Amino acid sequence: MKKFAAHRTCALLVTFALLLSACGETNSGSNSSTETTSSTTAGSSGAIPIGIAVGQTGNVGLIGQESVAGAKIAEKYFNDKGGVDGTPIKLIFEDTGGDEAGAINAFQSLITKHKVVGIVGPSRSQQGFAAQPVANNAKVPVLGPSTTAKGIPQIGDYIARVSAPVTVVAPNAVKAAIKINPKLKRVAVFYAQDDAYSKSETDIFQQTVKEQGLELVTVQKFQTTDTDFQTQATNGMNLKPDLVIISSLTSDGGNLVRQLRELGYKGLIIGGNGLNTPNVYPVCKALCDGVLVAQAYSPEHSGEINNVYRTAYTNQYKKDPPQFSAQAFTAVQVFVEALTAVDQKTDISKMSLPQLRTELNKQILAGKYDTPIGEISFTSEGEIVQKDFYVAQIKMDADGNKGKFTYLK
Amino acid sequence: MDLSLFFQQFLNGLSIGSVYAIFALGYTLIFSILGIINFAHGAIFTLGAYFTYALMGGAFGFNGLFANVQLPIRLPFIFALLLGSTLAGLVGVAVERLAFRPLRRQGADPLLTVVSSLGVALVIVNLIQYLVGAESYTFPANTYGNLPPSINFGTPESPIPIRTVQIVIFGVSVLILLILSYFINRTKYGKAMRAVAEDGLTASLLGINTDFFIVLTFFISSFLAGLAGTLVGSSVSIAGPYFGIAVGLKGLAVIVLGGLGSIPGAVVGGLAIGLVEAFVPGEFSAYKDAVAFGILFFMLLVKPEGLLGRRFVQKV
Repeated sequence: MKKFAAHRTCALLVTFALLLSACGETNSGSNSSTETTSSTTAGSSGAIPIGIAVGQTGNVGLIGQESVAGAKIAEKYFNDKGGVDGTPIKLIFEDTGGDEAGAINAFQSLITKHKVVGIVGPSRSQQGFAAQPVANNAKVPVLGPSTTAKGIPQIGDYIARVSAPVTVVAPNAVKAAIKINPKLKRVAVFYAQDDAYSKSETDIFQQTVKEQGLELVTVQKFQTTDTDFQTQATNGMNLKPDLVIISSLTSDGGNLVRQLRELGYKGLIIGGNGLNTPNVYPVCKALCDGVLVAQAYSPEHSGEINNVYRTAYTNQYKKDPPQFSAQAFTAVQVFVEALTAVDQKTDISKMSLPQLRTELNKQILAGKYDTPIGEISFTSEGEIVQKDFYVAQIKMDADGNKGKFTYLK
Repeated sequence: MDLSLFFQQFLNGLSIGSVYAIFALGYTLIFSILGIINFAHGAIFTLGAYFTYALMGGAFGFNGLFANVQLPIRLPFIFALLLGSTLAGLVGVAVERLAFRPLRRQGADPLLTVVSSLGVALVIVNLIQYLVGAESYTFPANTYGNLPPSINFGTPESPIPIRTVQIVIFGVSVLILLILSYFINRTKYGKAMRAVAEDGLTASLLGINTDFFIVLTFFISSFLAGLAGTLVGSSVSIAGPYFGIAVGLKGLAVIVLGGLGSIPGAVVGGLAIGLVEAFVPGEFSAYKDAVAFGILFFMLLVKPEGLLGRRFVQKV
């Protein structure tokens, strides 16, 4: 009997492997303090529900957890200020996990069950391409907090983003690297090929490399779930690059930095948006030192609202706020200010939910906002128009336990 | 490919392959005793790494129940490794008691046990995330004392750098394999384990406490998983709660390639997969997992018993 079982198990190995693989990235459902509002109009339950659908679990968890932190600070800050003309907002958190199915489930739950007026999310562009059409078809306005790939605002009329596209941000880092080392010539590119954002970002980086007259000596690919990059690092280093550019998520990118440095690579490294977070410090520790990252947010931005936000974040988390938190705060702020503007024209408590969602979407695209990431507005397509961009270099303490982004002039 | 790159990639393959081998040994031990795959093995691999990290005084991040918690204990790496792996072994024993034994006692279909262990794996992974968040954690720089981060096997003009941690991992893996081989082949307990694996019913009639040896097998298997998790974690950081899932899947490819239930097969399969992965050309390096599973499919088609497995003959 045991042998029969053995061979049946053998036959099922692949099936279960695939199942487990799928489970490895699925979401774990609703999270945080959510109260279902059964109202069909905002305000009749006493609070205006706004959905936050980001990935708090899976390989995108680091980014999603930062977004949650920023959104919660925004919720408290704006409710303390009176919410939307005296009506508080209520953020409803849904975990999307790291995959597309999780994002779709979260969006559907927020739209149909929680009846939110709008959604902030998801975390990854790859999830955005899957889940945001769901909201667009339901005519629910969406603000992407960290979805920077090409094509996101073009998904539909109800889709916008507060995260500057990679096409705008990424080239700044290459230019900064050339400024630091004018003699650099040979460039090795590494990217996570299973992530839509990383693919989009690396295309921009590679295009910038060519435009700057640099030589692209190799393009090495990996998966976001990889941890061992010996093969790619060895292949890349044997071509003696002066500059390495990495497009990845946080954990895989930090690991790659570490392994390159341990193998003796001493040249410049540019990290994409995935390395644009203090969460990379625990991954590569002291070896993170010197990594260049182009950013759409600086904690040192001098605006009043950024000072408030930065103080609140630093008091709570004992570190400077990362970009993803600032963008989530910004997304909530845009919703609150747009709702306020709509309410001043027409009492939103008397609007039907579909009407409110449509009016809110129009107002979002029409407004101008002074936010932690600076002054922003939107094109008619929903693309963010942002003035301020930065290039930062990671500086780690000698023990490698603490670090900070120092901004290059 | 020039000789220096070949040498580097060969050592890369041996290093990761030896970890696969240790990991797959855990699968193999349980399979040889119970005839089933323990899908919680990858989650225990992850746990082992977290245990060792915590015992070395590693602090946890800003998310989860243990945010900013640091154990008031700072063991040297070698002691933390042994204790962390032991704790992983005890978790394995708990998994056996909770997910395997009740079903075995009821004579349930082994497939249900596989599903049960899959459930345990997901519970463990999500529990880790609940407790310590999704952050990656890296072992301290001095984990291996004052060894340099890499050793140059070439000349200053034509360097062939190999990360020191890879060499350590390979050495520890070989040592563990030798110890395990001695234990299974030369000791009374090892022989009893083999007897239970061969025929549990006959072994119990001969006075061998099969339940005890099943628990012992789970302990050893999970100890090895925890040890492998720490070794990999020290090399590439503990990349979040899902860290062990990919390795767990790779372990399946290893044991199918080597031969289900074959201990030498697990070693050969692990090294073979590691080496094949290392020599996947750079432009296709993202597909190395597909290569590993491609080998699995191919092996199932042409030689289902694996490289060193025994051909199953059904008597009628």
